Amino acid sequence: MHHLLRQRRDARFAGVFALLVLMVSLGGCATTPSLSAEAARSLPDRVFVEDVPFHGQREYQCGPASLAMALAASGVDVAVDDLIPQVFLPGRQGSVQPEMLATVRRHGRIPFRLEGGFAGLLAELDAGRPVVVMQNLSLPWWPEWHYALAIGYDRPAEQIILHSGMTPQRRTGFARFEATWARSQRWGFSALTPGKMPQHVDPDAALRAISNFSEVQGPVAALPAWQALVERHPEQAMAHFALGNARYANGHVEAAIDAFREATDRNPGMGEAWLNLGLLLQAQGRDAAAQKALEKAADTSGPWQQRARQELKQRQKQRST
Amino acid sequence: MKRLSRLISPLLIAALVLGSLPAVAATSQNELVGTAEALDARTLKDDRQRIHDVLAREDVQRQLALQGVDADEVESRLAALSDAEVSEMAERLDQMPAGASVVGALFAAFVILLVTDILGLTDVYPFTR
Repeated sequence: MHHLLRQRRDARFAGVFALLVLMVSLGGCATTPSLSAEAARSLPDRVFVEDVPFHGQREYQCGPASLAMALAASGVDVAVDDLIPQVFLPGRQGSVQPEMLATVRRHGRIPFRLEGGFAGLLAELDAGRPVVVMQNLSLPWWPEWHYALAIGYDRPAEQIILHSGMTPQRRTGFARFEATWARSQRWGFSALTPGKMPQHVDPDAALRAISNFSEVQGPVAALPAWQALVERHPEQAMAHFALGNARYANGHVEAAIDAFREATDRNPGMGEAWLNLGLLLQAQGRDAAAQKALEKAADTSGPWQQRARQELKQRQKQRST
Repeated sequence: MKRLSRLISPLLIAALVLGSLPAVAATSQNELVGTAEALDARTLKDDRQRIHDVLAREDVQRQLALQGVDADEVESRLAALSDAEVSEMAERLDQMPAGASVVGALFAAFVILLVTDILGLTDVYPFTR
């Protein structure tokens, strides 16, 4: 009897201890994410992206459902049932992040990873574009990973508006949302028509996003995206270079030459831009200019130097015959 | 897996080396440097990395099939992934969070999650609000 009582007390201690550990490990309470003074001033109080159709998820299908809604918002009409075989992993009873992005590409939209955390999310919503977010609704120990589509917010009420699970326009407090979203390192993306750019985007990340899209959908589909990137980041030589390649692949040789020339203006040490410029000028029969560009490429150290030297040698051979 | 890699690697090296030879020899006119190629060069992607990419793609292809993806879907799903995404999946598909929103909860978890829900730290049970 005594023995039993002691055991029960031990169990109670263990319970209290576990709860204490839990509280400590959670590191305090859920707090409302704060916005920088500038973001607080520039963002409107309330934003709601109109006309985003709601697709309720059946069991485990929050990935395909969120994708269907995000694609519909950017003008691609695709049924959840068609998306399930494209993104759902039966063995995991869920959908993984890389495949969420890949499926967006398959449907002709570019997935841009959300940048800038909470303020970035509000800014993207303010621009009228819903964002797929990944949350862990539960705790790190028993994760309940979930995709939802953010479609608006209400700053005075401190609420984010989500199409989530079986609930359209579900309102969740900023603090609760932030706690669950932070567990995915604030992972999210918007699915944009080529030619549209997200509000916050790192040029390198954008280059990769568009290049990955181009590998799947080809240079014709990607051309407007490169154009938009160059407009957003005209200082980026690599963006001009990519635009040059896309224009060339679309048959616009003169425009491609302009873009490669722009790339070399922005970064005179960009060997691959000099090389492509030289090759196109050569094909157009503009010999003097081609010679100059290829010489520049051959003088620039890097992975393309060898190739440029060979091109020059070949030109010499052709001229002597 | 390791044995398989050891078997495939030399074959792949040979194939890639042979594959790249004609390109160097011919230097066909107007073969521009591609954007993906230039981006890879910028991140110093070397031949070893390229071999790794090919192996990773085979690995993910097998894993997708094992996870129950339809045979005729595997190819298209694989094709839509970038190299970086493929190698991420090859390395840690098992641990990758899969959005599904079903909690495999024990009773203890239920109680704790109820408390954390009320504290506003989690969002599992809608009836707490």
